[in-house]
Amino acid sequence: MQDQTNVADIMMGDVVRLEDVLSRDSVTSVCKSFFGLFGLPVRVISHEGDLLADVHRDQPLCNYLNTLHEGERECAGTVSIVRDLEPDVETIVHPCFTGAVYRIVPLEYQGRPIGRFIVGPYVPAETTQPPASLLSIDAEIDAAAACAHFDTMPRVREDIAKEISAHLKGVLELLLFSGHRAQLASTMQVASVRENYRELAEKNEALKSSFEKLKQLDQLKSTFLATVSHELRSPLTSIIGYTEMLESGAAGALSDGQAEFLGTIRNKADQLLSLISSLLDLGRLEAKSLDLNHEQIDPHALLSDLAATIVPTANRRNVSLDIQVDDETPNVWGDQVRVGQILLNLVDNAVKFSDEGGTVTVRAERGEIDAAGASGLGAALFTASEPAVVLTVQDGGMGIAEQNLSKVFDAFYQVDAGTTRVHGGAGLGLSIVKNLVDGHGGKIEVTSTLGEGTIFSVTLPAADEDA
Amino acid sequence: MQIDFAAKELTVKLVYYGPALSGKTSNLRAIHWLGTSNACGELMTLETQNDRTLFFDMLPITVSSGSGLKVRLKLFTVPGQVMHNATRRLVLQGTDGVAFIADSQRSEADANRESFLNLKCNLEENGIDPERIPTIIQFNKRDMASIRTDEELELIAQRSREPIYKAVATRGYGVMQTLRGLIRDTWAKLEGDHQLEDKFGISPIRFMTEVEAKLKHDPGPGGR
Repeated sequence: MQDQTNVADIMMGDVVRLEDVLSRDSVTSVCKSFFGLFGLPVRVISHEGDLLADVHRDQPLCNYLNTLHEGERECAGTVSIVRDLEPDVETIVHPCFTGAVYRIVPLEYQGRPIGRFIVGPYVPAETTQPPASLLSIDAEIDAAAACAHFDTMPRVREDIAKEISAHLKGVLELLLFSGHRAQLASTMQVASVRENYRELAEKNEALKSSFEKLKQLDQLKSTFLATVSHELRSPLTSIIGYTEMLESGAAGALSDGQAEFLGTIRNKADQLLSLISSLLDLGRLEAKSLDLNHEQIDPHALLSDLAATIVPTANRRNVSLDIQVDDETPNVWGDQVRVGQILLNLVDNAVKFSDEGGTVTVRAERGEIDAAGASGLGAALFTASEPAVVLTVQDGGMGIAEQNLSKVFDAFYQVDAGTTRVHGGAGLGLSIVKNLVDGHGGKIEVTSTLGEGTIFSVTLPAADEDA
Repeated sequence: MQIDFAAKELTVKLVYYGPALSGKTSNLRAIHWLGTSNACGELMTLETQNDRTLFFDMLPITVSSGSGLKVRLKLFTVPGQVMHNATRRLVLQGTDGVAFIADSQRSEADANRESFLNLKCNLEENGIDPERIPTIIQFNKRDMASIRTDEELELIAQRSREPIYKAVATRGYGVMQTLRGLIRDTWAKLEGDHQLEDKFGISPIRFMTEVEAKLKHDPGPGGR
C-alpha cells in the first residue's frame, strides 16, 4: 500500500520512477521480440541508472577484442560512456572504434525524462570496410581475424535503425502509459476507499454522540412524565373525593341539574385519573422501576374476572363476549394485577373497535415460548422451549393496515388520529401492554386483516406445574 | 504548485469540476484534439463502462518557455456523480485553479448549484480558501434546447465574481478560451504568491503569449 506522501505525488499525476510503472518482465519480453525481429541488441535503463532490460548476444568481434589488452580497455571505455549518456530530447548516435554504433533514445513522459534505451552495437549498412581505428587499436591485433569478425556484426541501414527505434520508443511509451494508468487507478481506488472510510468513521462518531444525547433526553422525558403525573394525581384525587362528597349530599341536598353536572365532573375526572395512571405506569415501565409480584394465576379465574369487568361496557356497545379456556391451560406465572391490566387493555380495545352486534373472543390455551427468542436464531444452542400460556383476543372490527402494524405498540401512536375523538384514549394502552408483557418475559404479536378484524396474541410463561 | 528550481520546472494543477455529465471530460478531449501535438501529452481517462469518469481524466500540457522555464500544466477532471465525493476531494488536493463546468440547460440549474457548493466544501476540507483560488465558470452545452439565453448569461456575468465562458465542448467551441482564461487567472495568482517573474524572469504577459502560441490550433496534415 502506498504511503500518504507517495499518494500526494501520484495525485499530481506524475510517474516517480520508471520501474514503478513498467514491469521488468514485460519490458524484457518486448526487447526479446525486438531482438528476434531485427537482431539488434537492446538495453532499457531508467533515469536513475537502473538496468530494466538487457537483451543481446555476445559479438565475436567484441569477444576477440577483449582478449587484447588495448582492445579490452577501449571497449570498456566505450561501453561505460554509452551507459552514462543521457540524451535530453534528441537521440544520440555514439560511434565505437570498431566502426559499429550505439543509438541512445530518450524516454520522456509528461515533459520529464524518465529513462532511455540503447540499440546496438550494430554496424550501419553504409559502412562496408572496418575502420582504421579497429585495425590499429592494439599492436597484437590479427587484422584478418578482426575483419572476419567485423563481417559477422549485425547490420542495418541508419534510416531503418532510426525507424525501428522510433517504433520501439512508441511501444515502450505505450507500456509506460498503460502502466501509469493502472498505477493511478489502483492508487486512487485505495485512496478513495480510505477517504470514504475516514468520512464514514467521522459520521458514525457524530451519530453515536447525538444518539447518546437523545438517550439522555429520553431519560429526562421519562423522569419528567413520572414526576408530572405524580404531581397531577394528588390534586385530582382531592377533586374526585370532594365531588363524591357533594354527590353523597354531604354538603346538602342537590338539585337534578347540580347532580347531573357533578356526574359529568366525576366522569371526566375519572378519565383524567386513568390517563395519568397510564402515564405513570409507562414512566415506570420505561424506567424499569415497576415491581412485578410474580405468583401463580389461574386462567379460569383470570378470564372470569375480566369478563365481569368488561361485560357492562360490552353490553352498552351491544358486543358479545366469547370466553374460552382450554382444559390443558396451565397457570400463568406473573403479577396478577398487571396480567389483568394487559388483558383488560386488549379486550377494552377490542370492544371499542368492534362493530355493534359483533363478538370479541378471548381464549386461553397452552403454548410454548422459544427459549432462543422469537426469531429462533441459534436455537441449537439453547434449551428446548418452555411451557407458556397463550392469551388471544380477537375482534371482528375494522382491522389495521399492514404498514401500521409495527407502530401500534409505540407510545402516543394512534392508527388513525381521527379515531381519538371517536374512541377516546391517548394511544398509551398498547405501549403499556407491550412493556408489561416484556417485563414478564413474554411476547406479544398482532395480526390483522383490514375489514375482518384483529388478533392480539400474548404469550406469557406458565407457572412451574410441579410447584 | 510544485517548483523545481534546479530543473527550472513548474508543475501547475488545474481541475475541471462540475456536476455529472456537464462536459468536463469533453473539455479535455477537445483540448487534446485541438492543442498542438508537441505541447499536449496523452489524455488519460479512468472511466467506467458507461463512459462516466470513475476517478479522473488527466491531460498533461508542457510549455517550454523561451526563458528556459518549463511549465507542466496538469489538467484533471473529477467524477461528477454525488457518490464519488471522496474521489473528488482527493483530486482537488493541491489544485492551483478550478474551471467549473456548468450545464446551460435550465433543468440542470439545481445540479450546478449543488456541485458548486460541494466544490466550496471540498476546497475547504483540503485547506484551500475558496475565496482565493482562481475559479472560472464555463456554461457548456450552448447547442442544447431549453438553455439559459445569452442575455441571461450577460446578466449573470455582470454580477458574477468568476469570469464566465460559453462553450460547446463536444465540438470544441469555447474550450480553448476557457483554458486560456483559467491559465491566465491561475498564473496571475501564482505570480502574486511566488513572484515568478523575479525568480524565473518571465512576465505573466510573456508567459500567456507563449502559452497561446503553444496551444494554437494546429490543423496539421490530417486537417485536425
